[in-house]
Amino acid sequence: MNARVNIDRGSWYARPTPGRTAKIYMVADRRDADLLARLRAGERSAFVEFYDRHATLLYSVAARVLGDRREAEDVLQEVMLQIWRKPDGYDAELGALGSWAVTLTRNKAIDRVRAANRGVRLLRKITQSAADPEGTPSANELVYGAERAARVRAAVEELPHEQREAIELAFFGGLSQTEIATHLQQPLGTVKARIRRGMLTLRERLGGVT
Amino acid sequence: MIDERTEEQAATYALGALSAEEAKVFEAQLQRDPELRKLVSELRDVSAAVAGQMPGLSPSAAVKARVLREMEPGREPPVRARRSPPWMPWGLAAAFALAAVLFGWQGSSLRQEIVAQSTRIRDLNLAAEMLRTEDADLRRAVLQLQASNRLANMRIAVLNSLLASAPKAIAVSVWDNDRQNGVFVVRGLKPAPPGKDYQLWVIDPKYPTPVDAGVFQVDAQGRVRVEFKAKMPIQAANQFAVTQEVKGGSPVPTISAMVLAGS
Repeated sequence: MNARVNIDRGSWYARPTPGRTAKIYMVADRRDADLLARLRAGERSAFVEFYDRHATLLYSVAARVLGDRREAEDVLQEVMLQIWRKPDGYDAELGALGSWAVTLTRNKAIDRVRAANRGVRLLRKITQSAADPEGTPSANELVYGAERAARVRAAVEELPHEQREAIELAFFGGLSQTEIATHLQQPLGTVKARIRRGMLTLRERLGGVT
Repeated sequence: MIDERTEEQAATYALGALSAEEAKVFEAQLQRDPELRKLVSELRDVSAAVAGQMPGLSPSAAVKARVLREMEPGREPPVRARRSPPWMPWGLAAAFALAAVLFGWQGSSLRQEIVAQSTRIRDLNLAAEMLRTEDADLRRAVLQLQASNRLANMRIAVLNSLLASAPKAIAVSVWDNDRQNGVFVVRGLKPAPPGKDYQLWVIDPKYPTPVDAGVFQVDAQGRVRVEFKAKMPIQAANQFAVTQEVKGGSPVPTISAMVLAGS
């Protein structure tokens, strides 16, 4: 039996599994469906609700990819307006509404990185690994709370370093599998396997499979 | 049953790392296979969870205001975001400083002028924010300076904060490629802890790693203005970055301690 717990913002759910720690995952839920219906009807309050729920995560993603807060604001603005004007671009069968928005944001930010020159890309690669030396809460923590953020962090940190590295290079760095293989000086097949294993492990740990 | 190769593609697709051609082929397969759609759905949610691992940053309230303004009935979809270019306020301020720089780096009176102008940067920045809707006028002002060749061979970069704990920290670097030196102005950066220095780096594609441009400290208000030179000849100062390093600086930047970056 599934149980929803501590859902105040976003669409994250904790699902208890007998004998194991409750899993966290993000699903296309009724709230998403309701919100989407209202967005499609052009209901402004639905958009404001969507913005308040997701802006911090989307902005954090854009800022991480771009390494530039001003540009990240531009990307956030573009994504939000796209969602308002073209909500039909969302397919509930392919993930939660928030996940779709994250994908849109990441892709728009990566497009900007790719359009930049080599020097910019070099800096991006540097900033991809940049962390706040003073320690700051993650986007998950700000948006979904400390408990769920800690569980996601634990799942990610338990991954072998090479799997996590390949996943982060693909997502935040916008590198193709071939580029990742070149960057890591590993065979292409090894990179593909690392991404697959890492993602499937996370899916299991975050509760993607019932 | 989904085979390993398809799982690899699904994982890569969910991360957005398939090429456009590969994605097109995969999406055709996705349309035909409900089991694969379920897998991609779950993996996309995994991607979003991973994405949320980075330091959380909140956008300024101005973004929401701009978005809501754009949503007003009758507003045409913008080709681009309407916000003025991020470098504009600082760039304009730096341009004033540069005009003075180019009239004679060595002249003491002009040096005093540079100092005076640099102190105006903050005020200009605030003024530019208020004049956001009049950004066309600001753009014209900078274009006039550029047209007068005063900015030739100059690189003006705005460095934004990477610190969630000091989101308003900002810096401007003005680099004179002919003279191989520059001026760096910082605002809102916390003083470095004891035993630490901030270190400036120039990103030049000519070199595999950032080039050391010296260390600096900020005052209690988080301000500093320094003139700097790079430790290697710079061909193209594409970007600048600041890291927090041990006292005296480091030969290579500590990536995990990057605090400012920008182009």
